[in-house]
Amino acid sequence: MPGKPLSNTCVDCRNADYVLTIRGRSLCRECYIQFVGYKVFKRMEKYRLRRDLPINGPCSVLLPLSYGLSSSVLLHMVHAQVQRLLSKPHAPPGFELQVLIVEPSSISSSSPPHNEAFQLLQQRYPHASFTKLPLHSVYEYVPGLGDILSEYAGPGFADDVSLPPKDRLDTFRGSITSATSIADVDSVLLNRLIVAFAKSLRCFGVVWGDSDDRLAAKTLASVSKGRGSSLTWQVSDGTSPFGVEFTFPLRDLFTSELQNYANFFPDLTDVIIPDTPLSDNILTKNLSIDQLMMRYVSSQGAKYPGVMSNVTRTANKLQASRITTDGSRCALCETLICNPKGTSSHFQLATDSNQFCYACERSRPGLS
Amino acid sequence: MAPSLCIKCQKERAVIIRPKNRHKLCRECFLSVFETEVHETITQNSLFQPGERIAIGASGGKDSTVLASVLKTLNERYNYELDLCLLSIDEGIRGYRDDSLETVKRNAVQYSMPLVIVGYGELYGWTMDQVVEQIGKKGNCTYCGVFRRQALDRGAERLGIKHVVTGHNADDVAETVMMNLLRGDLSRLSRGTSIVTGSAASDIKRSKPLKYAYEKEIVLYAHHKQLDYFSTECIYSPEAFRGSARTLIKDLEKIRPSSILDIVRSGEEMAVLVPMANGGQPAEEESAVGGCGSQNGRTRGGEMAEMEKTLAQNEVAAVLETEIKIPSQQNGAVPIPKRQTKQPKKQVLGKCERCGYISSQKICHACTLLEGLNKNRPKAAIELELDAEEEESSTTLRRQMEEVQLAG
Repeated sequence: MPGKPLSNTCVDCRNADYVLTIRGRSLCRECYIQFVGYKVFKRMEKYRLRRDLPINGPCSVLLPLSYGLSSSVLLHMVHAQVQRLLSKPHAPPGFELQVLIVEPSSISSSSPPHNEAFQLLQQRYPHASFTKLPLHSVYEYVPGLGDILSEYAGPGFADDVSLPPKDRLDTFRGSITSATSIADVDSVLLNRLIVAFAKSLRCFGVVWGDSDDRLAAKTLASVSKGRGSSLTWQVSDGTSPFGVEFTFPLRDLFTSELQNYANFFPDLTDVIIPDTPLSDNILTKNLSIDQLMMRYVSSQGAKYPGVMSNVTRTANKLQASRITTDGSRCALCETLICNPKGTSSHFQLATDSNQFCYACERSRPGLS
Repeated sequence: MAPSLCIKCQKERAVIIRPKNRHKLCRECFLSVFETEVHETITQNSLFQPGERIAIGASGGKDSTVLASVLKTLNERYNYELDLCLLSIDEGIRGYRDDSLETVKRNAVQYSMPLVIVGYGELYGWTMDQVVEQIGKKGNCTYCGVFRRQALDRGAERLGIKHVVTGHNADDVAETVMMNLLRGDLSRLSRGTSIVTGSAASDIKRSKPLKYAYEKEIVLYAHHKQLDYFSTECIYSPEAFRGSARTLIKDLEKIRPSSILDIVRSGEEMAVLVPMANGGQPAEEESAVGGCGSQNGRTRGGEMAEMEKTLAQNEVAAVLETEIKIPSQQNGAVPIPKRQTKQPKKQVLGKCERCGYISSQKICHACTLLEGLNKNRPKAAIELELDAEEEESSTTLRRQMEEVQLAG
């Protein structure tokens, strides 16, 4: 039985002094990087070895980057994999890494533009191709979105197509009043932009930078917003309802572990926009559901990290193939509309139009 | 500010803001909307058959009292042709049950329904007070939950009734969804969300007609209909998973009042996706609502910490595991018999050897628990006292109610 380390040596290599303890193992810098990196390495196997994918020809994978801690660490790790593959003479065909940055300032006006980071990234990660898009380019990538948004927002909203896309999107978002609904609709639009962009590059899959605790919060938030059936792709690996493969390579790592990893690499920390911690002074009712769940998971996760990661593992057991649906899709989020047996009139909302799924209906202006 | 008019009838002054959607309604319209919604739940799910005999699981609390009142009203209004009666369980908790049983007795007279009370004492030879004397305050909810489940069924059987309705409301169902997500128990999650439970092997069906009704609206209904109910919480045991889920749901409701219904919806969607959920339903020995079957049912304290410990141990074990690769098979070699992959264990329902109750084991959970209890009998009696803190909880509901009511 491995007892407590008798000395300061790293339990893996026994060559260097340990600097950090992760899950009861005291490791040196190199072994820590390897331990954490291996979890991601394993999860990228599908693309590295092209499991169930065409062996010849190009194979692109899209990594959406928010400049946040998790997605930046993921980029760092996956890029290292690509680099290693390229350096080997008889390496498997591997994959090409595409990175999409949806400008944070176009999602939230409080985020800085962060333009210099884009240059830095291109220099530091030469084996990846970078694209930068604002959120409002979703109009361009998703044909007919303008009409869908007009229908969604209802008669109180007038879409002026002569306006620049940024203003059109701002007006649309301005018609939604609650923090939860805005956050919900934003994430739907972000998802659509990322998927549409991945398809435009013929990417086989999208690798998401959600860490373990983030996935737990996302699970609880999705359930609270009436998106129960979306768990099969929001937090689970596999083919998404949009046709591209979704993978969450950081699912075994906690945010704090990623932070420790990032601290080892100064050139990583200077591109990351640190998360602004939620102030404890905000009244609960002014939070969005996503924020409430992040707060819940981080406070409970401090005491019960295992219970929190088990939430996601539980959600991963749900089987997408069992969905009861007539094949119709929500016009806004594009997912299959799930019709559970005996769906009652209690779920019919005032402005029922059959176009949108239950959860998207819930976030419609005027209903929230 | 001028008083607002009821958005439905446009005549009367609105006295209620519906917690569910913030509609402003007058008393009459609220009562009728509430009743109509329960009626819709009943008809859309075809809960009842004409002529059916129904036992209402009555605790004297707000949920079951409202359920009894609404069912009586609807039965007369829509001609369900139901034969309704009240069924109460006496767990034998002094200071909690004897008072609420008095309420149930009054209800029986008010609604002119027959009442049957089944006691733990007569069924098991143990009242809950005696169980607590024996095993202490911790962990006794398991006993209460297991005993209660059987007690309702046995009570119904004694009356020759095949259908028991309980007062579980939307908040309870939402709580069950969140709690089982935290606990990692998908089969309970799916069972807890379905409006009708009871396996094929059991001939007693359970349903929850108030599944889509908000707890706050139930309180409002009881208040405006001036129903006679008893409001107190069980005096035993603290909470863990359910408590955590409950706090979370209260916070969610503050952000978005529809959250409770949204979680119920999510639960229904997820129930469809649970592997094997529709096939062989696992045996239901314990209440689908967790440790204790009561509305205020709470699980044993420290359960979360226990689960955390187990999960952490699994994690450590997983790190120590070494993957052993079987060398690729050579020609002519005898194939190594492959170990069968573990199939999810299917529970087979049989009957308990002792009491004859449905059970997946030889001896049902209740009898196993009883065996443990009986081994250590007799023990010195300890007098129980009510804490000042517990007394206080009875005012909580009244306060909540006042909050949701529109200031006149």
